[in-house]
Amino acid sequence: MKNSIKLTDVVKKYKDFTLGEINLEIPCGFSTALIGSNGAGKTTLIDVMCRISGKNSGDITYFEKYKEADDNYVRNNIGYCASNNFFPAEWTSKNVAEVMEVAFDNFDRKKFVQLCEKMKLDTPDSKKKKKIMKLSDGNKMRLYLAAILARNTKFLILDEPASALDPLMRDMLCDMFREYLAEDEERSILFSTHNIADMEYATDYAVFMANGKIVEKGFVEELKEKYALVHGSADILSKVSDRLISYTGNKTMFEGIALTENRSQLEKYDIAIEVPTLQQLSVGILRKAEKDNEVK
Amino acid sequence: MKIYQNSNEPIYKQISAQLREQILTGKLKEGECLPSIRGLAQDLKISVITTMKAYDELAAEGLVNAVAGKGYFVNAQNSEMLREQYLRQLENALLTAIDSARIAGIGKDEVISILSALWTTD
Repeated sequence: MKNSIKLTDVVKKYKDFTLGEINLEIPCGFSTALIGSNGAGKTTLIDVMCRISGKNSGDITYFEKYKEADDNYVRNNIGYCASNNFFPAEWTSKNVAEVMEVAFDNFDRKKFVQLCEKMKLDTPDSKKKKKIMKLSDGNKMRLYLAAILARNTKFLILDEPASALDPLMRDMLCDMFREYLAEDEERSILFSTHNIADMEYATDYAVFMANGKIVEKGFVEELKEKYALVHGSADILSKVSDRLISYTGNKTMFEGIALTENRSQLEKYDIAIEVPTLQQLSVGILRKAEKDNEVK
Repeated sequence: MKIYQNSNEPIYKQISAQLREQILTGKLKEGECLPSIRGLAQDLKISVITTMKAYDELAAEGLVNAVAGKGYFVNAQNSEMLREQYLRQLENALLTAIDSARIAGIGKDEVISILSALWTTD
C-alpha cells in the first residue's frame, strides 16, 4: 500500500523525554488518527515529521521519494497546522491570505474566502476584521483550518484540530476531512487527538502512542475485529482477568478489552462480548500501555 | 441508504447488505458502477475504510468487480447465484426456528407438521 510519509527508526531525545524508536507508515488515501494521553509524544512526533524540530537519528521519506521536508514539492503539498498559535497575534484574515499567497504555490484565495464564510469568520474582504489575538481558541483554529484547506495539498498534518472546536464545528471538520479525501484519492490526513469519540467516523487508520512509543496501529475495521469489548458482573472478573488485556472495575461491574482470538474461552462465562468503538478501544489500549509502564 | 450507527451490526455489514439486495433484485444492473468509495463515505458521514470493507466483501462474493483506477462494477448475476443466496437465507431462518423448537422442547415431527400447515395456508 502507498504511504504519504514513512519513518524508519526515528529517535528524538530531550532531557526528560525520548520519542522512539518510531517505525511508521501513514497510508495514502486515508485519514489517520494519532491517539494518546497527554505527554505521550504526539506533538513531538508531528513536529519531527514537519521538521519543526530535528531528529537525533532515523530516516523520514515523504511521498515515497523525498527525503527533505523543505523540498519544494513536499513543502507545497503538506498542510501543517499546530495546535497553538502560529500566525502573529496582530494579524487578521487579510494578512493570513496575503502571506499564504506568497508562501505557497497552491493557495486559492477564493476558496479561502469561501471557507471563512462557511466557518463564520471575517473574510479578507470583510470591512471589520478581528485580530487573531481577539479570536477565541475555537475561532483561531477555524482560521488555521481555512488557511490550510484553501491550499491544494496532498497531505494534511494537524495537531489537535478538534480540541478547541464546538460540537457543530467538529462535525463540520469531519465532513471537511471526508470531502478532502473524496476530491483526490492520493490525499491523506494525519491528525492527533486525545478525544477520539467525536472523530471516530472520520478515522480510517489509528496509531496509539504512549511514553514516546507506538503501542498499536492498524486500520480501524481490523482493530475492531482484533479486539473485543468485554464487560460483566464484578464477581466474574477474577475468572476472566487472565484473558483481558486491560480492565477497570468497581464493586458492581468490570469492563475491559480482550483479543477476539480468546472469544471462545470467554464465552463460557456470563459476560457481554461486543465490538468496541474506537473510543473504547483507545481506553483499553492506553490503559494497558500505562500499566506496562508502571511495571517498568 | 439507511445506516444505524448504534447497532450491533457493523456499519460495513449494513452497507454491503443493502447493496447486495439492490444487486440481487436487479435495482443495480450488470455493468453499473457503485458510488465511489470516498464519495459514499462522505455522503454517509462514515470512514473511508468502512465503505471500502463493504465493497471488498461484495467483491469477494463475486457480486461486483474492482477495476483498478475506475471503481467497482456490478457483475452479471446468474439465477443460480440468486437461488444460492436465498437458500442461505432459508437455512439461517430454519436454524433459528430449530433453536426455538429445542428451547421449547418441540420435536422434529411437530416442527415439520407446523411447516406443512403454514405452507398450505400461505
